[in-house]
Amino acid sequence: MALPSKVLPGFVASFWMQTSAAPFTTANLAVWTAQVATLVGTSAGGTGASGTALATIEAVPVFGQDDAVASFMVAGSRQSDKIPTQSAPTSMTITAAWNPSDAGLLLIRADAYSGLIDRTYVIAAYDGTNTVAYAFNGRVGQFQIDSQPGAEAKAVFTIHPRGNQYGWSNT
Amino acid sequence: MKVADAVEVLATTYQSLDAVAQGLEVKASEVATALAKAKPDTVEFVCLTILARYNPVTTQVATPEPIE
Repeated sequence: MALPSKVLPGFVASFWMQTSAAPFTTANLAVWTAQVATLVGTSAGGTGASGTALATIEAVPVFGQDDAVASFMVAGSRQSDKIPTQSAPTSMTITAAWNPSDAGLLLIRADAYSGLIDRTYVIAAYDGTNTVAYAFNGRVGQFQIDSQPGAEAKAVFTIHPRGNQYGWSNT
Repeated sequence: MKVADAVEVLATTYQSLDAVAQGLEVKASEVATALAKAKPDTVEFVCLTILARYNPVTTQVATPEPIE
């Protein structure tokens, strides 16, 4: 299927997580039909049978891969050289309005207690017709409640994506 | 290694597909044939695309006879 050829506004992105802790293999993270689509809800173009939305998050965080580079200098050469080296996936710290009975936040909280549970997450950008999905496997490393009296309570958590376990798909 | 076996290895791994595919010895022509038949947006298509990246089909160009 062809990718949508347009600049996507940021606010259409939504965040989805697998309800069972059965992460997809690397190859399946790049397959939309019957794979990633099952985690994404119908509101973002998926089927949503095996996933739940992290609906209360304030914004989808920056995602992707960090930079890692080694610089080399060669005597007599005008320019030095920069070689990309082993990089890390970008950790995502997310702030959500805290609903103590939200299904997604309860899963995140339990995963944070464990620190060992791998789960597939999906960031879906939906324009009403097409969906572009970035799927990855990750573990939760932080879960905090910020309940300052001047504002609604927040749940702040961090997802650390597993290295190399990501894929792009679309419909 | 058979292409089907290589696809199975790639489809079930949690490692980098690029890293794993570079270690799988398959015939480029068989990969190209399988890729042509594979349906897009399937796990087979994803695996075969990676295999084809590291096993490109090379066509030999006939060198002209030297002119004396």
